[in-house]
Amino acid sequence: MGKDICVFIECKEGKIRKTSFELLTKGRELTDKLLSNLLAVLIGDNVINLAEDIRPYEEKVIIIDGEVYKDYRWDTYTDALEFITKKYSPFLIIGASTITGKDLFPRLTARIGAAFISDATGIEIIDGELKVKKPIYGGKIISWVSPKSTDKVIITFRPNSFSIEKGNRTGEVIEEKINAVPDKRMHLVNITKGQSEKVDLQEADFIICGGRGMKDPENFKILEEIADIIGARVGASRAVVDSKWRDYEDQIGKSGKTVSPKLYIGCGVSGALHHTMSMDTSKVVVAINKDPNALIFQYADYGIVDDLFNVLPALKEELMAAKKEG
Amino acid sequence: MNILVFVKQVADTEARILIKSDNKSLEIENKYNLNFFDEFAVEEAIRLKTKLKESKIIVCTCGGKKAIEALRTAIAMGADQAYLIDNTDMDTEDPLITAKILAGFAKKEGFDIILCGRQAIDDENGAIGPMVAEFLNIPHISAIMKLDVKDEKHMIVERDLEGARQTFEVELPALFTTQKGINEPRVPLITGVMKAMKANIPILDPLTLGFQKEELNNGASKIGVLFYETPKARPPVKIIDGETPQDKAKKLVKLLKEEAKVL
Ligand SMILES: Cc1cc2nc3c(=O)[nH]c(=O)nc-3n(C[C@H](O)[C@H](O)[C@H](O)COP(=O)(O)OP(=O)(O)OC[C@H]3O[C@@H](n4cnc5c(N)ncnc54)[C@H](O)[C@@H]3O)c2cc1C
Ligand SMILES: Nc1ncnc2c1ncn2[C@@H]1O[C@H](COP(=O)(O)O)[C@@H](O)[C@H]1O
Repeated sequence: MGKDICVFIECKEGKIRKTSFELLTKGRELTDKLLSNLLAVLIGDNVINLAEDIRPYEEKVIIIDGEVYKDYRWDTYTDALEFITKKYSPFLIIGASTITGKDLFPRLTARIGAAFISDATGIEIIDGELKVKKPIYGGKIISWVSPKSTDKVIITFRPNSFSIEKGNRTGEVIEEKINAVPDKRMHLVNITKGQSEKVDLQEADFIICGGRGMKDPENFKILEEIADIIGARVGASRAVVDSKWRDYEDQIGKSGKTVSPKLYIGCGVSGALHHTMSMDTSKVVVAINKDPNALIFQYADYGIVDDLFNVLPALKEELMAAKKEG
Repeated sequence: MNILVFVKQVADTEARILIKSDNKSLEIENKYNLNFFDEFAVEEAIRLKTKLKESKIIVCTCGGKKAIEALRTAIAMGADQAYLIDNTDMDTEDPLITAKILAGFAKKEGFDIILCGRQAIDDENGAIGPMVAEFLNIPHISAIMKLDVKDEKHMIVERDLEGARQTFEVELPALFTTQKGINEPRVPLITGVMKAMKANIPILDPLTLGFQKEELNNGASKIGVLFYETPKARPPVKIIDGETPQDKAKKLVKLLKEEAKVL
C-alpha cells in the first residue's frame, strides 16, 4: 500500500458539499506531511464540470461519470470505490459521516476488509501513525483510536470538524469508466424532494434552535428571520418536534441529528442531556432562557437570562445593524 | 419466514461513565438498556409478523452474559426466540468482527428479513447493518422510516436521504436498519415480562458459527483504542447583564463579534 489519501466527494443539488471541502483541506495537510498525493473521487451524473472546484486542493481528481450514478446507491458507489482503491491503492480513504457516508462506508469496509473508524472529529499523524479522535457515549468520552496497520483504513468525519482553506494546486483530472450494475434486488421507485434549498442542519455554520419555550409554532418565524440575517439553519428540540411545531429533520439530539456548528443559539431550550449530547461540540454556544438554573447554561459560553420574546426582537435588530456595518 | 433482529445492550444515556486510571478502559454505572434504535427494529418485526404468514421473530445479540437482559426486553415486547452470542473472549472494538459473527449466525439460523438499529448509542458506529448485509451478499436499506409488505418476496421501504424521501422496492432476503419515526415501540405488558423471565435463551460460542479463533480475537481487530479522555470542559458561562433585553442583545452581538469572533 502506498501513502496516498483518497477523499470521497459528496454532491448535493449539483454542488459539492461543504463538508467535502473540509475533508480536502485536511487531506492536503496530511499528504503534505506524508509527502504523498491526495486524490479526490467524484462520482455522479454530469459531474465533470465540478472538477474545477476541487482541483486547487489536490493532485488528482478522479471522475466517475455516468447515468447509473445519478442518485446515490450503495451498490453502484461501492463498486466504483472498490475499483478506485484497487487501482490507485490509497492507504486511507476519508469521507463524511453524513447519511450517505454512513450507508456507503461500512459496506465498502466489509467489501475490502479495511480498518474502519466512523464519525470521527479529528485526526493526527505522528511518526507515521494515525491517531483518530472519536466522541463516544453521546460525547461524554473522547476515544483516541488507531488502526493497527496502515494497510487499508477508512475514516468518516462529522461535518464541521475541519476548517476550509482553498489551495493553489492544479490537480490533474482523470476520467475513469466503470460500468457499475445496479443491484437488481432493489429498485428506487420514487423520490420526493424535501426542503432542499436549505443547507443541511449538520453542515450549517450557524444554528438557532428553538425549544418548548418558544410556546407556539408561529413564534418560530422570528427564528427564521434571524436565521436569514446570519445565514443560519433553524433547529428544534424533541419537545418541539413531538408537538409537531417543526419537522423531524430539524431535530437536534440523541434521537435526531448531531450538530457541530460554529455558533449554536438555544432559545427556550432547557438543555436536557438528550439534547446537549448532540450539540456539545459546537464551537460557541449561546443560551437564552428565563430560568437562570436551566441546564443549558452549563453548556453555554454566553447566556442571557430573560424572556426570549423580548430578547429575540432586540437580537434581530442588533444582528441586522451588525450586518450592515459588515 | 424468519425475521432476525439484531439488538445491542448499551449504557443508558444517564449512566455515569468514568475513565479508569489506565486511561484505556471505562467504568460504567450499572444502568443498561436495549439500544434506543433497536426498539424500533423489534417493534417493526412484531408488526411485520402480523402481516406475514407463519413467521417467527428471532432476536440475537453479541455481547457479555449481562446482555441477556436486552434479549428479555425484546421477548417481553413480543419476539419469539432469542440467542446470546457470548463475545467475552472476542475483540469487541472492531465492528467488522461483530458484523462477521452476526452474519455467521444469520447463515446458520436462516433468514428472510434482518432488522437492526440505525446506530448504537454507545460506540456510535452506525456500521453493523450494512456490514452484515455485505457479508451475506444481500441488499440493505439504512435508516428506514416505513416498511410495507408488497408480497411474500418483496418489501416497500422509505427512507430520507439528505433531505429527499426515497422509496425502494426490495427483494428478500434483505436487511433494513431502523430510524426513529418508523413506529412507536410498545411498552411490554406484564404477561410479556413474565414470559420473558421464563424464556430459555441459549448462549452460543461464536466459534460454533464456523470461525477460527484467530479470526475473532486478539489481533483480529483492525483498530485499537490508544486512550480515553474527557472532553474539554467549556469555561463557565458568561451571563450577560444589562438593564433591558436591548442592552443584553447589543452586548451579546458585540461579544460574538469581538471576543468569540464568530460573526
Ligand atoms: C430516549 C430519549 C431520547 C430523546 N431524544 C431527544 C432529542 O433527540 N432531542 C431533544 O431535544 N430531546 C430529546 N429527548 C427529550 C429531552 O430529554 C427533553 O425532554 C427535551 O430536550 C426538552 O425540550 P425543551 O428543552 O424544548 O423543553 P423543556 O425542557 O420544556 O424546556 C423549555 C425551556 O424553555 C424555557 N422557557 C420557557 N418560556 C420561556 C420564555 N418565555 N423565555 C425564555 N425561556 C423560556 C424554560 O425555562 C425551559 O428551560 C429525549 C428523551 C428521551 C427519553
Ligand atoms: N454486539 C451486537 N450484537 C447485536 N447487534 C448489534 C451489536 N452491535 C450493534 N448491533 C446492531 O447494529 C446496529 C448498529 O450498531 P453500531 O454499528 O454499533 O452503531 C445496532 O442498532 C444494533 O441493532
